[in-house]
Formats: sequence, structure tokens, C-alpha cells
Amino acid sequence: MYPLAPAAAVLLALMVGAFFLVVAGHDPITVYRVMMRSSFGSTPAVINTLVSATPLILTGLAALVCFRVRLWNIGAEGQLYVGAILASGVALWFGDRLGAPIAITVTIFAGALGGTLFVALPALARSWLGTNEIITTLLLNFVALLLMNWLIFGSRSYWRDPVGTFPQGKRIPSAAEFPRLGDTRLHLGLLVALVAVLLVWLMLTRTRFGFHMRVFGDSEKAARYVGISARRMILMAFLISGALAGVAGAIDVGGLSRRLDPNSLAIGLGYAGIIVAALSRLNPGGVVLVAILIGGVRNAGTALQALPERVPMEIAVMLEGAILIFALSSEVFIRYRIRWPWSAHRAITGSPFAAIPTGGDRA
Amino acid sequence: MNESLITLTLAAAVAAGTPLALAAIGEIITQRAGILNLGVEGMMLLGAVTTFLTANATGSPWVGMVAGATSAALLAATHAFVSISLRANQIVSGLALVIFGIGLSTFLGRPIEGVPLDPTARLPGATVPGLKDIPVLGPVLFSQDVVVYATWVLAAATALYLFRTRPGLSVRAVGESISTADAMGIRVAAIRYAHTIVGGMLAGGAGAYLILALLPSWSQAATTNGRGFIAIALVVFASWRPWRALVGAYVFGLALRANFALQAAGVTTISAEFLAMAPYLLTILLLIALSMSDTRRRAGAPEALGLPYAREER
Repeated sequence: MYPLAPAAAVLLALMVGAFFLVVAGHDPITVYRVMMRSSFGSTPAVINTLVSATPLILTGLAALVCFRVRLWNIGAEGQLYVGAILASGVALWFGDRLGAPIAITVTIFAGALGGTLFVALPALARSWLGTNEIITTLLLNFVALLLMNWLIFGSRSYWRDPVGTFPQGKRIPSAAEFPRLGDTRLHLGLLVALVAVLLVWLMLTRTRFGFHMRVFGDSEKAARYVGISARRMILMAFLISGALAGVAGAIDVGGLSRRLDPNSLAIGLGYAGIIVAALSRLNPGGVVLVAILIGGVRNAGTALQALPERVPMEIAVMLEGAILIFALSSEVFIRYRIRWPWSAHRAITGSPFAAIPTGGDRA
Repeated sequence: MNESLITLTLAAAVAAGTPLALAAIGEIITQRAGILNLGVEGMMLLGAVTTFLTANATGSPWVGMVAGATSAALLAATHAFVSISLRANQIVSGLALVIFGIGLSTFLGRPIEGVPLDPTARLPGATVPGLKDIPVLGPVLFSQDVVVYATWVLAAATALYLFRTRPGLSVRAVGESISTADAMGIRVAAIRYAHTIVGGMLAGGAGAYLILALLPSWSQAATTNGRGFIAIALVVFASWRPWRALVGAYVFGLALRANFALQAAGVTTISAEFLAMAPYLLTILLLIALSMSDTRRRAGAPEALGLPYAREER
């Protein structure tokens, strides 16, 4: 059932999308054909899709780490911005004083640090006081966006290009620019993301901490009985999650924009990470595949914008939302063996993504 | 800051708080029945764009508002189906609603981005005779529009319904202990469906009000800006009580309008971006402060909130 379910989810989402395309006066067949061609239809298309997928792998992992222990970090978006702010700030500050490998490493770690710092407040509030993390992490996204916009559009900050008529970020020194892979738009960021996948997978499956995460995610009560500190677990999961999102920001700075560029960053990568994690069923390897799928959809959205009939690219975001709703619905077919209402059915437990109680115990 | 500026600011705060109040009361209704719908932001946006399109086409704000509420109710019904019938994770479903709502409203709204609302479709002002002449309170509370007054009626009606009627008791029973309610013979699924959909209608109404009364034109980026999530936070601050949500909404309305007031008063030392952060930071700090006071921590949260329910399953 499992491999069938995501495919069905995508198909159903495309049908919903087709409905709204017809409503808006577009031909869904043409639109989908263009989308297919511009996301997976040729080598350059695939490369662009991989470039789009790179940050999604990291934000997907960020969501995954928290979701595994039933924490809802919805703030990857903001953590990504702050990661980018710190990464570009550090890269600009070091200038060309460092050699390329060190400058790049420092930039990536600065991104991780930025994300970690920005998640610290909701993480501490959640682990010590039980403050609902969904609302705090989410609202901080708006704070981070405003901060980033202020740095580039609202002030003459250190990040802003002092020359040039249009407000934009100052270009980072060449030492901090990520090398490209071969002759393509692909850059070091993809490798960083894949290393992160490997590390997260190792952490989850090969370390004591990962084992504790699994126990904690399955049953907080059981975790307490074996002496796993809930506070520490919550804090660690959040900080790791924030760091991953922050690295996604650093990767945009070093590999793509080469400056702090709000227009390149504020495209909902953090929110899309939630979809990636959910569709992967909280499986690090799955994150890569789903990120490529969603990256393709997003990439196709951009191509649609260029069509003569100007199909709004947001059809891609709508499709993402629809895919998530259908994938979630298909969970029921994975978790339960459906026998129709006239016969009793019993749950097959063990899905990491089963319906999870929340809210009641946290004000 | 002179007196008329204060009055103007307070009046603007009440107007800005009205969509928050509508959405928050809607979410209270939903959560009292035990369903957590995080999709308020998406429902508000879809409600807003549908309202704009229909109001501009028909020239009637009321037709627009009904259309907006209906579209949001459809989204809420989706959430109800996924979380009640399919028993899926309500948090993820709600977030999916947000993403879908943002995508769909931007998609539908792209051709009308920046287009102003037809003046005939704007919500007309309506003063309350007699009361509007009271100093300060008159212009602040009684020179608004029908929706502002309707929000008060809604808060009162919701409070009465939830706490003083038999059906309201059933709703709370479903929210507190759904298996008990089920054993009592209450039709739990029907109640959860109905209240999720009503909550969605109110979120759609909130989006409609934003477009019909507060914003000059349609712009996806400027329409909700996290108001849907502030409304959800308001539910917590209000300990799931409609009246408190109304008062809280006006306080947040003030926070949303304070930057304009400060600019009008000549305060320019603080950047617009930092002033705009105020409502978000205020929400976060209040949430943290609320969870610090241990005794109040769980005040009012429905016990079965977010829990899916299958009969004879534990």
C-alpha cells in the first residue's frame, strides 16, 4: 500500500489543481505538460529541479527531526532567514582574509548557528514552561522576515550594497562562494544537504540519542521511566532542527544568491519542508526523493509564469498543499486495514506519523 | 499625541481587531468541540479573495461576505473530513490548509493584484443613534459598521450557547471527553463536523471583513500576514471564552494599528519594520508569560482537543 499512496496523493492533487486551472480559464493538460517538461523533461530541467530541491532537503530534515519527537517546529522559515543573515554577515566580515575552504565552512556553520539561536527562545519556552511551540515558532517567521527586509530594504545596514540604485545585499567575497559542480548550476550545497541526510540518518539509527528520540517519540511516559530527560530531548531536537534550517539559508547565500537576498529566500522553503517531512513519512532517505518531487513542482511553477498566458506560479504552492492533504488522508489506508463500516477494523500501530494528540496538555 | 488622534487610533484598533475576534471566536467554537484547526490563516485568505471577487462582480459586500464564508467553510469541511472521518493528524491537516489556502488565494488573486475594491462593494458605515454622541466611546465603539456590532452579538450568543444551553453542554462534552459524550448518546462526529464548519465560516467572514472594510485593494502579501495565527493564540489567551477573545482581539487591534499612530504622532526613530514586529512579539511574550503561571496553565483547554476518536478504540 505504501508506495501506492503517495502516487495517488499526487494524482488527486493534480486533479484538484486541474479544477482550479479550468476555473481560472487555463487548459490543465497544457499546463501540466509544461510543468512536466520544465521540471523533469531535460537535463537542464533536472538540474534546476535539483537546485530547487537542495534547500528543501534541509528544511525537510529540520521538520523531520522535530516531528519525530512530536514537536511542531513550524519556524524553519524564520530560522532559514536568520541563518542566511548570520551566514552572509560572517562571510562579509571575514572578506577574503580566509582561504576558500575555511571561508565556506565558516559560512555554513554561521548559518547553522543563526538557525539555532533563532529557535532557542521557543525551544526554551517549550522545554521549561510547556509553551505551545506551534504558535511561537510560526509567529517568529514574521519577525525574521521583517528583520531581513529591514536589513536590505529598510536601512543602510552592513548587509546592504552601499552602491547600486536598487536596494540589494552586498555581494559576499569570492572565498565564501560555493564551488559549482562541474559546469552546471548545481553547487556544493547539494552535497552539504546530502551529508546532512546521512548525518541525520546516522543520528536516528546509530546513536544512543537517536534511540532515545525514538523512545520519546513513541511514548513520553516510557521515556520518563527509563530516565530520558524530556527537557533535554525537546531542547536538543529543536536546536538540531534550527541548525538544519539555518544551513539551508547559508546555502542560498553561498551557492545561489551570493548575497543576502530576501527575494530568493522568502519563497516558503520552510513551510514546504513540513510537506517534505510529512510525505517522507519521517524517513531521511525519503526526504531526498520528496524534496526532488516538490522542487520539481516549484521549478515548474516558475516556468509557467513565463508562458504566454501567464499561469500564476502559485499553482505550485496550491498543488503542494493539496498533495499534503491527500498524503495525510492516505495515511489512514496505510495505518488501518480498511474494512467497510459494517465490519470492525483494528489499528495497525507503529506509524511515526499517526494521529498525535496535542494541545490539551500545553496551554 | 492629541485627543482626536487617540480616538482615531482606538477606533481603528476596534476595526482592526474585528477580524481577529471573528476568527478567534470561530476557532473557539471549533476547539470547544475538540478539533484543532490551525488552518485559520488559509481560510481567511481564501475567504478574502473569494469575497473580493464576488463583491466586485456583484457590487454587494453582503454577497461577497457570504461567498467568502462559504469558501472558507469548504476548506474547514475538508479539515473536518480528514481529521474526524480519516482520523489524521490535525496539526498537519491544518497546516496543509494554510499552504493550500495561500496557494489558491494567490493563484485566484494574481489577476487582481493591486486592484481596488469597487466603492459600492465597500462595507457601509453604520452609527448607533444616541450612543455615537458619547465622548470618546461614541466614535470608538458606536461609529463603526454593522459587522463590528454583529461581532458583539456573536460573542454573546456563542457564550450563551456554549455555557447556558443543552446543545452547548453537548459540544463541551465532546471537547472534554469524547468517549463519555459518545456513551451518552451524543452524535459526536456530527457535532465535530458542524462546529469545525461554523468555525471555518467565521474565519472566512474575518477574511471578508479585512477586504471589505480594512484594506484598499487586494494584495496577497498584505492581506492576512499571520493574523490567522494571532487569532489562534488569542483562543489560548482567552482560555476558550468568547468575551475574553473579543477584548483580546481589540488589544491586538491596537498593537496592529500602533505603528500608524506613532508615525502620525511624529515618532520616526523606530523603523516601520520594527513597529510591525510588535504584534507578533507581543503574542509570543504573552504566550510565554501565560505558561509561566502554573495554575492558569491549562485553564479552559478542552481535554480532548486534537484527539481523533474511534469508537471502542483506546
